[in-house]
Amino acid sequence: MRTRSISVAFLTLAIGVALMSAAPAQTADKFRIAGIIPLSGAWGIIGENMRRGATIAIEERGGQVLGKPVEVIWEDTETSTQVAVQKATRALSQGVHTVFGEVSSGSTLAIMKLTDQRKVPQIVTLSADDRITGADNSRYTFRTSNTVSMENAMIGEFAKRRAVKKVYGIIADYQVGRDMWAALRADLASKGIDVAGEEFAPIGSKDYSIMLDKAVKSGADGLALIVVGGDVVTSLKQGGEINLPQKMTVVGTMLMDETLGQAVGPAGALGVNSTLRYHFTEDTPRNKKFVAAYQAKYKEPPSQYAGEAYDGLSWWLDTVESTQSWDKEKWVDAFRNSVRQDSVEGVKRMRACDNQAEQIGLFGTAEAGGGEGLAVVMKVAETFPAQTLFKPCT
Amino acid sequence: MRMGLHPEMPAIGALMLGFLAVGLFSPDEATLYLAALIMIWSIFALGFDLSFGLTGMLSFGHAAFFGIGAYAASWAMMSGKSSFAAALAISAGAGGGAALLFGLVSRRVSGLYFSLLTLMLSELIAIVITTRLRGLSGGVDGLAGVPRPQLADIDFINTANFYWMIFAGFGITLLFCGVLKHSPLGQALQAVRQNPVRAEQIGFDIAALRLTALGLSGGISGVAGAFLASLMMYVSPQLLSWKVSGDVVIMTLLGGSGTVAGPVIGVMLVELLREGLSALTPYWYGVLGVIFILCTIFLPQGIAGLGARLWRRR
Amino acid sequence: MSTIIIGLSIAMLLFLLSAGLTLIFGMLGIINFAHGALYMLGAYLAYQLSASTGSFWVALCVAPLLLAVTGALIERSMLRPIYDRPHEFQLLATFGLILVLEEFVRIMWGLQLRSIAPPPSLSGSVNFFDTDISKYRLFVVLFGAAMVGLLFFGIERTSLGLILRASSNNAIMAEMLGVKVSAVRTGIFALGAALAGIGGAVAGPMLPIQLQMGSTIILDCFIVVIIGGLGNIRGAVAGALLIGMTRAYGQQYAAEWIDIATYTVLVATLLLRPQGLFGVRLRTA
Repeated sequence: MRTRSISVAFLTLAIGVALMSAAPAQTADKFRIAGIIPLSGAWGIIGENMRRGATIAIEERGGQVLGKPVEVIWEDTETSTQVAVQKATRALSQGVHTVFGEVSSGSTLAIMKLTDQRKVPQIVTLSADDRITGADNSRYTFRTSNTVSMENAMIGEFAKRRAVKKVYGIIADYQVGRDMWAALRADLASKGIDVAGEEFAPIGSKDYSIMLDKAVKSGADGLALIVVGGDVVTSLKQGGEINLPQKMTVVGTMLMDETLGQAVGPAGALGVNSTLRYHFTEDTPRNKKFVAAYQAKYKEPPSQYAGEAYDGLSWWLDTVESTQSWDKEKWVDAFRNSVRQDSVEGVKRMRACDNQAEQIGLFGTAEAGGGEGLAVVMKVAETFPAQTLFKPCT
Repeated sequence: MRMGLHPEMPAIGALMLGFLAVGLFSPDEATLYLAALIMIWSIFALGFDLSFGLTGMLSFGHAAFFGIGAYAASWAMMSGKSSFAAALAISAGAGGGAALLFGLVSRRVSGLYFSLLTLMLSELIAIVITTRLRGLSGGVDGLAGVPRPQLADIDFINTANFYWMIFAGFGITLLFCGVLKHSPLGQALQAVRQNPVRAEQIGFDIAALRLTALGLSGGISGVAGAFLASLMMYVSPQLLSWKVSGDVVIMTLLGGSGTVAGPVIGVMLVELLREGLSALTPYWYGVLGVIFILCTIFLPQGIAGLGARLWRRR
Repeated sequence: MSTIIIGLSIAMLLFLLSAGLTLIFGMLGIINFAHGALYMLGAYLAYQLSASTGSFWVALCVAPLLLAVTGALIERSMLRPIYDRPHEFQLLATFGLILVLEEFVRIMWGLQLRSIAPPPSLSGSVNFFDTDISKYRLFVVLFGAAMVGLLFFGIERTSLGLILRASSNNAIMAEMLGVKVSAVRTGIFALGAALAGIGGAVAGPMLPIQLQMGSTIILDCFIVVIIGGLGNIRGAVAGALLIGMTRAYGQQYAAEWIDIATYTVLVATLLLRPQGLFGVRLRTA
């Protein structure tokens, strides 16, 4: 017994020493960014895209901010909020100047609590939950991308423009999904569009055929498909089997883009309409430069996630540079009132009241691919000006 | 009680010393956070081993007690405004209660079917909490903002301070498990594991003993859950997943079940492997898998057993 | 009408996987938690084959063969030493196997969601009674039924099947009669893996091919196997049909309650008739 416990003691102490020496030395001469995103698991592909966009943003400025080299610590959250919280805590304890992430709204909200406590700026370029710049907002967290309300407004407006009379809803059963649908229903009602029915599908459902069948039989001419991740592929593939996009006007948020189009295949993708956070065909000087740099490095056009990541991070870093100071509070104050005249999507205005950037909204329809080697491409069908999408700050 | 404690004391003392040293000399918060995480999972594994290593019941559903404890504590603190101490008590009760429920439902099943039943029950609970109780549980997204303890004027948001509270919990759990193992109750439980038929013939009430072991096991797992929720300041149904149940089984096995030091060593091993391997190679996931497989083939008694065997060979 | 076909197609996919799982358990005594990972590997291999050769049929034939070889390798290297170990070690080993398989797939194919297009002869739909039913789904149902028949025939009527059943019933006796039991065991695991491979290839045109596809389906397989009875092919058929139809009709009428209903039925089965609908009471303690 005693011999075993002595070996246990040694082991523990050895491990403790190893732990302590494994901690890296603190460097005060770099601009440190913690990139806390999923690089594996269900959202891994999205995080990977974000990393690429962020990398271009940094390379574009020669890898320097405020005269010092930029160091990005990428932490893989493995598509788990638990891991995200753990890695965020670790990154924050090592002393970083900016946090970039995450993907899922749940993770972003959890990390925001940590960055807020430690007064470290956080840049969100993807998570759409309204609470991030609404009920749970933080002085230190900024979002440069779309909100759920924006997306809802776009969907309702698009349905109206396409003269859809009745909408059926198939919704992923989680908070953001349900909130979105509730808001969308109200919006559709105000536009005189009926709701023919609704269905809440557990995330990860393997079969949408029956629900899609019900939707088709309900007499609705529009389908609001609010699903996430692999479920997009499942539902649209199965929809393709019964020619769904030809039978109903299929709309959604983050429902279709080049990446998803490849995974779904033309049968299920062509004709599907979706909000677009960003598209590589946007005609602005900055976007052209970005797309060229991205294409050269990664041999394919940037996805929405890459585009938004690039845009948000480069805007932030430019603002930091403009303050010529290492005081985080100055950065936050400067960013809260900044206007990005030449973002990849035109003008973006950061609102001091809630740290949300006002911007245009894009809506796209999937078409057969042309020469880029992609089976399915998005054509930007509608562009909504910022005023129609945002309620003014009170 | 005096008869029981001594054989475990050196191991317990060594572990406490180790974590004491980390707490006092750790260079940064990240190390403290990791050590705190290890202690919390150790509490969970120690709780699990009460029903597994001691009493011989292999449950694939312990995440249910862990997660229910985490949620119970979170609800108590967030909406009930209770103190951390009260939340701990509530989590112990919730975890233990759930475990007793499992035990009652599975009274007539044993062996493999018991394991499968616990797996399925825990999945059922996870689904109910995620989908039916979405308002309470936050659904798939969970609940952010679980508070740290409030005591005197100490800032427990600073991990360095919360560390000592976890350390106290860790120490108490170690002592409890050590004492239990050598107490008359502990001996009875081991008898149930080693030879249930004989134990019954001697006059032990097997069903009641198993239920007791499960209840205690669930309670401790619940407390671990409460600590984790407060450490992460976040709770989600992920804590109820079958992967968490699988993790605790693996950690206990690797460290060596049936001992007090074993589960703790197993937790340390797996957590440090995860950290260390991901720094060494991008393929750490696969390497970890290979390690698990090798350990199954070559280390049936876990690391603690390996340590004993090596020492004996000298 | 479409509900029935969809239910049957779900059932057939579940059967393909559960058959392998139940065979492995019944005849080898191993709970293969990594079965979902084998299915995932099958789907990715099928994707690669169909992408490289342009033919779904090639993928459907070759992927299972590749999986059979993989299964044989796994059995000889990893499973042989642990046959008589308690169940917790099987959990540890097969969890480790899941990690290894997922890492392999990630190295080979990355994080991108993949997809297999159904062959041109099977794309699109037919119109039955005023509903559009996907041709591919019909194929899955017919193909699955054929596999059921094949398995039954193989196990109950051929001499190979006889050897299989003899070795699982009484290995020592079979050994004494000249059967190479260790080879039979390898064969069984290879067969189970091949079935998982067929499942993966068949699922490819219906479901997204992603790294997590194994973990999402494995619990369903366990449910089928438990309800049907561990080690029982008839039971696997019955269980798969039950779960498939429950899911299909559940989605028709009450999508939010499917999972809860399924698990409750399962718990009830474990309590009232733990050996499953068709199983034989095993000494499990």
